[in-house]
Amino acid sequence: MAEEQKEVKPKKRTTATKAAASIGPMVKEFITGTLQAKADGKQKVAYTFIVCHHEEIFRALDVVPVWTENFAGICGAKRDAERFLQRAESLGLSRSLCTYALCGIGFDQWREELGQMPPDAPWGGQVRPDFMISSGQILCDPRSKWYQASQQFMPDVPIYNIDLPYPLYQVNRDHREVLGYYHQYIVKQLRGLVAFLEEQTKKKMDYDRLRELVGLSDRTWNLIEETYDLRKAVPCPMGTGDAMNTMVPINFMMATQKAYDFFVDLKKELEEKIARGEGEVENEKYRLMWGGGLPAWYALNDFNYFNSKGASFPAETTYRMVAPLHEMDLPETKDPIEHLAWRWLGYWTFWYDRAKKRPGSEPDVERLINRIEEYKIDGVVMHEAFSCRTWHVGLIWQLHQLSKIYKPIPVYVIGKDGKKEKGYRELPSLVLESDIIDITSYSEVDTRNKIDAFIETLESVRMNKAA
Amino acid sequence: MTKAVILNRGIIASIIGPTGPEQRRLANRVMEEALKQAVLSIQEITFIVATGYGRINVPFADKQFTEITCHAKGIIHLFPEARTIIDIGGQDVKGIKIDATGKIIDFVMNDKCAAGSGRFIEVIADTLGVSLDTVGGLSLQSSHPATISNICTIYAQQEVAASLAEGVPLSDLLAGVHQSLADRICRMVNRLRVEDSVIVTGGGAKNRGLINALSEQLGHKVLVPEDPLITGALGAALIGKEIVEKAEKNRTPVETKERILEEVEIL
Repeated sequence: MAEEQKEVKPKKRTTATKAAASIGPMVKEFITGTLQAKADGKQKVAYTFIVCHHEEIFRALDVVPVWTENFAGICGAKRDAERFLQRAESLGLSRSLCTYALCGIGFDQWREELGQMPPDAPWGGQVRPDFMISSGQILCDPRSKWYQASQQFMPDVPIYNIDLPYPLYQVNRDHREVLGYYHQYIVKQLRGLVAFLEEQTKKKMDYDRLRELVGLSDRTWNLIEETYDLRKAVPCPMGTGDAMNTMVPINFMMATQKAYDFFVDLKKELEEKIARGEGEVENEKYRLMWGGGLPAWYALNDFNYFNSKGASFPAETTYRMVAPLHEMDLPETKDPIEHLAWRWLGYWTFWYDRAKKRPGSEPDVERLINRIEEYKIDGVVMHEAFSCRTWHVGLIWQLHQLSKIYKPIPVYVIGKDGKKEKGYRELPSLVLESDIIDITSYSEVDTRNKIDAFIETLESVRMNKAA
Repeated sequence: MTKAVILNRGIIASIIGPTGPEQRRLANRVMEEALKQAVLSIQEITFIVATGYGRINVPFADKQFTEITCHAKGIIHLFPEARTIIDIGGQDVKGIKIDATGKIIDFVMNDKCAAGSGRFIEVIADTLGVSLDTVGGLSLQSSHPATISNICTIYAQQEVAASLAEGVPLSDLLAGVHQSLADRICRMVNRLRVEDSVIVTGGGAKNRGLINALSEQLGHKVLVPEDPLITGALGAALIGKEIVEKAEKNRTPVETKERILEEVEIL
């Protein structure tokens, strides 16, 4: 099979915060930790997916999660995914499938064929799991199909699937009518997971410990909200480029003291930067929002390019997978499993009521509007990653809908009588196109040409804003 | 193609030179020709704006702007009623939405695939042995446009060659090719919610067959500038003129580069 040479590494990306700069070693440490755990044999290691609200269950039973999306992202960021993608392709899988999955499947096949890690595996490689926990999360089919494909190369490794639905938004229906049913279903799913993990680990769930871990996660959720809210400051002390690092404790380290402590430190750092009047960019001219789409992991330098033009990113929707718990009105329960299920539903339905109040809005659009207002946003940037249907279908529609129902920029226009009158126009937006880890879909020249044109548009809007 | 426009009160020189593989080094040659046409020396040029993909390789330019901004400026100058611009170039296609003052509201670009650009027509014309200048007129003679199902330029080239061998008339094939390209352009540009007046510029605007297909599929009348190849360069020159006029009005100095015309050294 063709084994692609590694891409030349791009210039190292600079981060605005020390906390974001500390993430690389942290990720390396937990990848090494999974390898060590497997070698020691004292803890079980399990493949699994982020945003399933099941970390607490894993950690309470001392199961070490191997975040397979994270490993694919690392391969992408190191510009070393191509050889694994090519392997998956030569197994007959199309490049248009989820490239995270392709990278993982290609890697697994290679590791199993060799009986050891593929040569120069990024950060030591992805460990062979003891079992795999897939998740039929409502939108993402690779979450259930990926491990089935990988199981072809490791048939002795069992899969357990948890199904985590939530009621879809309907403008004329109150989702609360069916919430109880969904809750019962999810509780059942999570209890099934507990039973499976107990069987695999030969341990009994310690529910007091689980309750403590759920409490720790809840405190971390609130702390993340408070920390990220600090980015409303002008100039903004931390941008999305950094948030693509600080997503690590949110998505891969939840229910650990380390994640909580990380945000304690980050919050302190941001408060200090704000007190000094220090922004992500020296002279902040434009405040942008990363309004959707997973990033091109190999091209995070593009955030520095935006910064070089005076553009900061105070907010993003991607990977901010928390919402303020105190605004969710979650039912009281002493059962941590029931709480996890309520929190899951609370998170996914968080914007439903607000969306209903604005004609033409939808939860995702309402979230954009909320961030635009709260973070004083001048423009929206989205990334359409061709291989991820789940999170990217609908982005363009969201932008269309946004521009239709929300025109916040005051401008002077020539009225019907030929006189100058005040009107309002929509926020400028930019859609970048490439992929999460498939670098062959990316052109730096074209991307930066688009960014340049977008910056010129923002500048023109800034100059022509009616007072 | 590399273009240069020199502006005084009106256009005093306008040059379209082949870009070729050496374009990154040879912007100076096109400039020399334009100066010759205007009977001016480089020292007499007040301000120079470079645009397009090669804009960073013009060492004598005082400022750079993207082609999006320059096309918008050039088109609103020629068509004050313009609200949607479609630039069909050899390498890419852009859709630009502007307001009444020519300010950009939104834009989209296809820079990934030849199938959505003028290159698509070039490749097919070459396959059919027809000159690029004649494809538009020939396609208008078609009564039953062929269906080109492949969206990849290379596969479409094979499809067209096979259809030609089966006896499908040349005009029907060309009409099909134009419809196929117009379809891809429309799908992209419709993201902008197209508004009248629609102006098509770039090399593709010279192709009557493509313009007809576009107009039909967009459901809007389409206008074309007299010289669609130079609208970006014209916009660049207009922006330069504005910069100088603004500086004069504010009595601020205009910063310019040293006026030396030479090839670029690319490491």
